[in-house]
Amino acid sequence: MTNLQSGALAESPLAQDVDAETGSSSSLLGSVFREDRFFLVLSVFIGVFSGLAVVCFRFAIDWCRIYILGSGVQLSTVRLLVAPTVTGLIIAFLVIHFFPRARGSGVNQTKAALFIYNGYIPIRTAIGKFITAALAMGSGQSLGPEDPSLQIGAALASAIGRRLRLSRDRMRLIAPVGAAAGLAAAFNAPISAVLFVIEEVIGRWTAGILGSVVLAAVSSVVVLRWFFGSEALFRIPTVQMKQPSELIAYAILGIIGGLGSVALSSGITYLRPRCRQAPEWTQYFQPALAGLLIGVIAALGAPQVMGAGYTYMDEAMHGQFTWQFLAILAVLKIVATLLSFVSGTPGGMFAPTLFIGCMFGAAVGGAQHAIFPHLPWSPGTYALVGMGVLFAGFLRVPMTSVFMVLEVSGNYSIILPVIVANTFAYVISRTLQPNAIFDILTRQDGLDLPSMEEQREENILRIEDAMRSSPEPILDAEELAGWSAHLADGSMPDVLLVRLHPSGWSSITRAELQSLIDEDKDGIDPAARFAERQLPFLHPDQPLEVALRYVDRWPLIPVVSRADFSKLEGVVTEHDVLERYRDFAGE
Amino acid sequence: MSKEHKWLDLQPYLRREPITLALLTGLAIVLFAAVTGIARLYQAQEDALAERWSSRGADDLKAANYAAAVVDFRTSLLYARDDYSYQLNLALALVGENRFDEAEAYLENLWELQPENGLVNLELARVAVARKQAGRAIRYYNNAIYAVWPGGQDAERRATRLEFINYLLRTDAKAQADSQLIAMAGNLNDDPKQHEQAGQLFLQAQDYQRALDQFRLALRRDRRNQEALAGAGDAAFKLGEYAQAEHYLEAAVDNGDKTEESQLRIARLVIEMDPFRQQISTADRDRIALDAFGAAGARLQACTAPGPFNVPAATLVSLTQDWTSLKPQMTEQQLRRNPDLASTAMQLVFDIEHQTSGLCGSSTDTDNALLLISNMHQGM
Repeated sequence: MTNLQSGALAESPLAQDVDAETGSSSSLLGSVFREDRFFLVLSVFIGVFSGLAVVCFRFAIDWCRIYILGSGVQLSTVRLLVAPTVTGLIIAFLVIHFFPRARGSGVNQTKAALFIYNGYIPIRTAIGKFITAALAMGSGQSLGPEDPSLQIGAALASAIGRRLRLSRDRMRLIAPVGAAAGLAAAFNAPISAVLFVIEEVIGRWTAGILGSVVLAAVSSVVVLRWFFGSEALFRIPTVQMKQPSELIAYAILGIIGGLGSVALSSGITYLRPRCRQAPEWTQYFQPALAGLLIGVIAALGAPQVMGAGYTYMDEAMHGQFTWQFLAILAVLKIVATLLSFVSGTPGGMFAPTLFIGCMFGAAVGGAQHAIFPHLPWSPGTYALVGMGVLFAGFLRVPMTSVFMVLEVSGNYSIILPVIVANTFAYVISRTLQPNAIFDILTRQDGLDLPSMEEQREENILRIEDAMRSSPEPILDAEELAGWSAHLADGSMPDVLLVRLHPSGWSSITRAELQSLIDEDKDGIDPAARFAERQLPFLHPDQPLEVALRYVDRWPLIPVVSRADFSKLEGVVTEHDVLERYRDFAGE
Repeated sequence: MSKEHKWLDLQPYLRREPITLALLTGLAIVLFAAVTGIARLYQAQEDALAERWSSRGADDLKAANYAAAVVDFRTSLLYARDDYSYQLNLALALVGENRFDEAEAYLENLWELQPENGLVNLELARVAVARKQAGRAIRYYNNAIYAVWPGGQDAERRATRLEFINYLLRTDAKAQADSQLIAMAGNLNDDPKQHEQAGQLFLQAQDYQRALDQFRLALRRDRRNQEALAGAGDAAFKLGEYAQAEHYLEAAVDNGDKTEESQLRIARLVIEMDPFRQQISTADRDRIALDAFGAAGARLQACTAPGPFNVPAATLVSLTQDWTSLKPQMTEQQLRRNPDLASTAMQLVFDIEHQTSGLCGSSTDTDNALLLISNMHQGM
């Protein structure tokens, strides 16, 4: 980014540089801006198509459940054991022979599309994900529809981008746009979806993509609400925090949620590679075995662990289970989700995460009420906070976790307990399990995608880290009389900084100075000459990489105060910058 | 760059973009229509499943098969999550199953949606009654009485108020019950059954005058109404209007209500043994005083005799002494000579009956009558 004064822009070397970089063609600029606008419009269509796909996905999941498990809530033991097992065999066959990329949740595949495959996600993956994930959830596997929806949205967006032959840059960005649309429709929560995609998939805030992501998310949610109405995933109970002392219970919830997160992620870290390294023939039976074991859990009295479990989260929020049973359900759901996920069954982690958090939350609230019956409590509030806790602890998306709860509950009075509980969960999870689950999965898959958590917390070098104090003397363009004295005493460095009036900076070498003095004697105004040789300047807080654009062309770059451009804070040279980078790599 | 060149550069976009956008719009419309069709199929299936399970639930609820009804309504809610009636029925089934916590959770949610719903308030009141939460029960009963009821509002409100009154009477909140009864009585129609029922409740609330009024209203339509006659007799008796009580009780007994015979006997005795009643000759008054004195002596003797009742001697000793010292004077002659003697004797009789009624257990009809006469005249 240039920091030249506007008046000097047209003539400055930097302005010429910018012009050269953009191909010196206004038509090219025009086409870029035109593609920008077109991309925004396209985002709306991506949102609409993703929304329609997610609507169909929800229908498919429900139909699968009705035809595989039956329409009732109480199922026979035989059906509970046989249906998930047989469906598991079918899913394994489909994944192995037709849709090998449909395995897993889909978040990492979307990230890989962004960082490795230039936005390419085969449409076959979306079809495979749609079919196999619907079968998996319909047969009771403990997985959710959100991550598959995210991948389906990304794959649709990628297919549209390819069809329209978008530029490579746009193609890279189109997958996250579709991902946001898919996730927003699955969650019926556009803000959370946008935040998740920015926080976990893209990893940085860029104005260029934000508008498209938001438009796609909003349009997909509009489509979803057209078909399902505007109601949230759950019937949100009255949310309240009556006494500040309740924060202690929320802190305990954060600790329990953090430990639960670690249990789940450690289980996945340990079991997933072992399941994948098992003999190839076992891959056919792993989803079936997972289905059978989940069926056993259901037959033993906890059918709530089957499927995404939104109905039961709703019931937990409304205080329809005892706290002891809620705690048992949370533990059993961790087991069931582990089984489903490590077996390679396609499906998402979001819904199980929400389920476990919801159950932990309501259980902690219920226990608190049992121990201190005089304290007011609302199971819905604890359940909602619990959802955020697992989001923060397991998925490691702290910002999304807070906004997700706020968006789902529609109540900002819950923010304090959410922040308290999420902070505890996040810190505990980070301490006990240094790597985030998506990074672990990426590495297990043999990919090296940027870790968003590491990126967020990465120490970046700034100009001030390479800057050194300003050299003496600094010359003022108007005070020519003093220059010859400096030349005469022999102490003058090879390069001098020149402060221009009313503002701006330039530099001059000893030889140039001598020549200028000679020319001045002939009546040439040196100030006018300096105006044509302005230096770009930097500020101490800017990233060091900005300096790299200039240091090879100018021997000395002034670093000035943001409040007063004529006040010199220091200077940087190419040597300083490279030396700092070398030191940083050594650290 | 000239304007002409710019136009040439933009031409490919101007050709391509509108077509692309038109195609995308067309595709979106086609897909939207297709998904709408699928959504209708889906919705129809959901509705059918919800209906099927809820009708099963209604049958189970009717047959008081609450456990099955809970499962049925839970399933129907799977397909129609926000259906008010399914949620309400599920709550009713849960109440039937005595799963009050869950029922209350559902009912409170329903209450938040429709705080004016009568049935929800009534069920919440019932849950509160079952959980012995008097304050909540009273609040929800009151809400239910003034709530909106589908169909016959008056009948539902009256039934709710009746249930509330019965609850108040069970919890011995007679004053509150009486005020509810007064409100209810003001809205009764000509149905003698309703007046008779109100009379009975007034009796339980110990508002005997209003009870008598209600029984009279009931008897206006049917003079031979057995329950109303008995109730009116009872209310008049409790009011101390023994002549009226005798009138109603006699009619009741004549109609075959033998249960009222004892009360009728006592009413008659009260009337016969009251020496202070008007339009009575001195000779009759003296005779009544003599009989009462004798009965009180017998009661005192029975009470102080060694038996199952371990009466503290000090309590009745002075009464025995008083009675013994007065006994010689209690002759017809003495009574004629000394007109105040009858009053003195009757005062002693009343004291004896009062003391012994608290200490000596069951007594004869005569003693009961004397006690009632005593109560009647103590306020004089």
